[in-house]
Amino acid sequence: MNPSSILFLLHEGYLNVRRNGLMTFAALGTVAVMLTVLGGSIWSVYRISEYAQHQPQTFNEVDAFMNTSSERDDTLAVMDRVKKLPDASVVHLVTREQAWQDITHQDPTLTESMPDDPLPDKLEIETRDAKNVQHLADLLRDKNAFPELEAVTDAGAEVRMMLAFARLVKLIGGGASLGLFIATMFIVYNTIRLTVFARRREIRIMQLVGATSWFIRIPLLLEGLFHGVVGAAVASIIVLFGGRHIAQFVEQLHSPLIGDVPTQATPLRVAACLILIGSFVGLTGSYLSIHRYLKHV
Amino acid sequence: MTSGAMIELKGVTVSYSADAPALKNADLCIERGEFVFIVGPTGAGKSTLLRLLYRGEKVTEGAISVAGYDLNTIANKDVPYFRRKIGIVFQDYGLLPNKTVWENIAFALRVTGAGRSETRRKVQDALEKVGMTHRPDALPGEISGGEQQRVAIARAIVNEPDLMLADEPTGNLDPDTSMGIVQLLKFINERGTTVLVATHDAPIVDSLQKRVVAIVDGSIVRDDERGLYRHQILAGKKGGAN
Ligand SMILES: Nc1ncnc2c1ncn2[C@@H]1O[C@H](COP(=O)(O)OP(=O)(O)OP(=O)(O)O)[C@@H](O)[C@H]1O
Ligand SMILES: [Mg+2]
Repeated sequence: MNPSSILFLLHEGYLNVRRNGLMTFAALGTVAVMLTVLGGSIWSVYRISEYAQHQPQTFNEVDAFMNTSSERDDTLAVMDRVKKLPDASVVHLVTREQAWQDITHQDPTLTESMPDDPLPDKLEIETRDAKNVQHLADLLRDKNAFPELEAVTDAGAEVRMMLAFARLVKLIGGGASLGLFIATMFIVYNTIRLTVFARRREIRIMQLVGATSWFIRIPLLLEGLFHGVVGAAVASIIVLFGGRHIAQFVEQLHSPLIGDVPTQATPLRVAACLILIGSFVGLTGSYLSIHRYLKHV
Repeated sequence: MTSGAMIELKGVTVSYSADAPALKNADLCIERGEFVFIVGPTGAGKSTLLRLLYRGEKVTEGAISVAGYDLNTIANKDVPYFRRKIGIVFQDYGLLPNKTVWENIAFALRVTGAGRSETRRKVQDALEKVGMTHRPDALPGEISGGEQQRVAIARAIVNEPDLMLADEPTGNLDPDTSMGIVQLLKFINERGTTVLVATHDAPIVDSLQKRVVAIVDGSIVRDDERGLYRHQILAGKKGGAN
């Protein structure tokens, strides 16, 4: 295809957009709103899972620390007894050596300054049911039953609630995102269908004078792409602007739960991701629409 | 099946539904460079035949080859290239109302990937052939029906086709204007293009005295080397023929 043809196709695509005036505007608005809600929910889900990952414990887990003076055999004995408790499902041993190594790996300066390994063996115990975390922790804290244990930690009630909430948001947000994704594609599909209908004379003539099907498709695909990309750009601005305000609000709560969790979702990445989704939706929606029409001619 | 002829039909039947076929068991051979009128009463199957020839329709039965392509086996991706060898003209002109005369003709070249300078040259050439150089920037709504049909013919010949198909090209025009259009088609034929015209218009058929193929109820009933519109068989159906 020569450069002059590319210019011609771009121009035809532009004519589509302009001729459809009001409809282009309506479609763009709808796509932008859809992508804003879609982007907003994907971003919230992502951000909440970042917070959740940042918590030291998952909400159905109890950590039990041995006395530093105890031997490995003691630890294994306690491990056996814990395993027999009805509330416990999986018990995982983190030895003091492993813990030391992990810390060395994460922060060498910290271990360098310590002459010896001061860490105790640790048991990570998963409960069969998140409801029983409190009960299990209380059992392990009983000094008569488990004198070898120095400390027992479980996720506090607030943390547990937040993590449960995060799970709920992920579930609902994930479902809603999928629904919105399909709905956005459907809107582009319909807009392009109207364009195709409005341009049926042009398309008919193109077919009769021997335009290849790609030559017929490209201007319409460009129109779909335009809807997707511009809609996504508008949505990015709204999501990033709204996101900043929410982040500021969360920060000023000074909640110890949330703390300062760094994010991988930089503004550039959020915008790029939305534009990618928008282009995909726009191209696919218009492709399906044209495909259906060209088949029926 | 391909042959040296421009058009070859062997035992071609087209059925749209379970009723009587629109074209039945038609045999027809048209050589390169011929000028042929297809005549017959309304509903006879003239438009069906023309649609078959540019593959706007497929045969239900039989063999068909046009411009060297076997239309029963042609791949979908080859159809656009086949169509570039054919110029098509309709009764309703089929011009794009929001493009100018010049743009309408150029459109046919541009959508087949032609460049700007080639387009400029060929559009000018086509406008000269049909005698429409005086108003290239007019919109179709601003010129007469006869002029619109000239523009449509310019668009059909701008790709320099081997074959030109015209379905009732004078159907919406007064007798004088019709005669002008037919003279133009004759001129195009004299420059080497095979021309097929489906028509109800007796005076134009009679004026040229070219080959006439008559269809009645989907069957070819007459094929005269140098014919007139009317004939015994058609005369019986005269009521439906005009
Ligand atoms: N798309 C279609 N679907 C079903 N039947 C059709 C279709 N097109 C044409 N027919 C039928 O096929 C027969 C031939 O129609 P065709 O249009 O070829 O006739 P024609 O000779 O061009 O008539 P006219 O002079 O009125 O244009 C008619 O009976 C018509 O009703
Ligand atoms: Mg007809």
